[in-house]
Amino acid sequence: MGTDRCACRSRLRWVDPVPKLWLSLAGLLVCVFADSAAVGGFTLLVFSVLNLLLGGHTLRILTRFFAVPMGFLAIGCGMIAFRPLEQAQALWALGNSGWGISRQGLLLAWMVLCKALGALAAVYFFSMNTLITDLTWALRRLRVPGLLVELMELIYRFLFLLREEAARIQVAQKSRLGYQSIPQSLRSAGMLAGMVLLRALRRGDRVYTALESRGYTGQIATLPRTYTTGRWCYPAAAAIAVSQGLILLAERGSWI
Amino acid sequence: MKDALEVQDLSYTYEDGTRALDAISLRARAGQITGILGGNGAGKSTLFLNLNGVLTPQSGKVLLDGREVRYRRQDLPQLRRQVGIVFQDPDDQLFCADVYQDISFGAVNLGLPPQEVRRRVEEAMAWTGISALREKPTHALSYGQKKRVAIAGVLVMEPEVMILDEPTAGLDPQGVSDILRLLYQLRERLGMTLLLATHDMDLVPLCCDQIYLLSSGRIVCGGTPEAVFSQPEILRENHLRLPRIAHLMEILHDQDGVEVCRSAATISAARREILHLLRQTETAEAAAVKQDRMV
Repeated sequence: MGTDRCACRSRLRWVDPVPKLWLSLAGLLVCVFADSAAVGGFTLLVFSVLNLLLGGHTLRILTRFFAVPMGFLAIGCGMIAFRPLEQAQALWALGNSGWGISRQGLLLAWMVLCKALGALAAVYFFSMNTLITDLTWALRRLRVPGLLVELMELIYRFLFLLREEAARIQVAQKSRLGYQSIPQSLRSAGMLAGMVLLRALRRGDRVYTALESRGYTGQIATLPRTYTTGRWCYPAAAAIAVSQGLILLAERGSWI
Repeated sequence: MKDALEVQDLSYTYEDGTRALDAISLRARAGQITGILGGNGAGKSTLFLNLNGVLTPQSGKVLLDGREVRYRRQDLPQLRRQVGIVFQDPDDQLFCADVYQDISFGAVNLGLPPQEVRRRVEEAMAWTGISALREKPTHALSYGQKKRVAIAGVLVMEPEVMILDEPTAGLDPQGVSDILRLLYQLRERLGMTLLLATHDMDLVPLCCDQIYLLSSGRIVCGGTPEAVFSQPEILRENHLRLPRIAHLMEILHDQDGVEVCRSAATISAARREILHLLRQTETAEAAAVKQDRMV
């Protein structure tokens, strides 16, 4: 997928995924639970800078990744800002409907926007610098049940195959005018879904046979990768968390 | 030359009653490439799965290096180490999202220490020429690259016999040449015994030392490619054909009355035949001129 391509090129690709995961997770959790626009903004700034400087990604790519969630966020935050006015002083009201935009609503929407962007930046720092296969390896080391991790790996691998298969079927359907009207499109899409399921089952059988022929005994065991140490992530995570805490305190202090 | 693999009267019937193999007997000589030819549904895949222990024969024997193969649960890991299968569709075989990990799978299953697994993975990648792909996600590979990774995933188990099901199907001409070169190298330099299922009749005279023709679960005929190609009617009865060059030779011989060897099936064999013919003609013409002068 998109982030996987970035991760392939990242300068942090070969850094141990576990410390990277902790760094990202610590920043994400503090940002989410702080409920603060300033902390959200700081998290966005820090993780974006880390992504650009350490990961070696360009600002253009990073902003492209933010574009889609920004669309959803704009709609969501707009709805948060536009709400029943109650006793709050309206900055703008929709006639006499009792709905409008208040200062409190705007502040809440701003806080949610900053928090969501901060959280996204923390997640992107991990996903744009770590392949899914490295993530599953990190999960194994974090003692996530093997079955769950294996399922994740297999789903990830075969997602691409099924997507290709679905795309091929769709092209074949389109070439025979399968999507000309809405009823036709619905029928074709239904057939496509059924066919993909059927083919997935058949492929599942074939994959199991191939696994068995290579000595599969119920557990998918492969050689672990070798990574460069990422110990620097722990002090970095602590420094970011402390800074987030100080910013939160400063923000709350100014309000008091 | 000794037999690396011998199959004696092997039979297998599926649960729905389909008799896929009916008392099959064949031999694969050590260090040679043995081709298994047959149309769709001839029983090739069932035969291969029986040889690797994914399916258990209902009757008959399989001998590896002269020793009878046992299909008990505890014997299967050893059998799968000795006989590796490269499946036709590499997407059925490559299940890891990562090339390096996928190749290591078979060797890890053998319970080898990590250093040995790493050594074997490196070696298998070098043999198949995919060392540069080690860091690539599997889904980002081309079809030909996937085929090579699939072969490396079996090579890593260092099998004595490697079975390849349609190894050139779906490849471009360059991809076919690369796979052929790899097969030659495995035979010449590692002395590996290879069993090859193919529909690509032009490939057979190029790489197979022995071939067997399989039809409806039975062996119809077997021998060197030349011997089998000298009986084109049997091939045609079983939904196969002569290689293009051999077909040309057959037409020249049967329809045009040219004295060429009908079993010449490769470009080099045909070239030899044509040069031989030309020299014969030149000699005859020179003799005729000489006779004219004497007269």
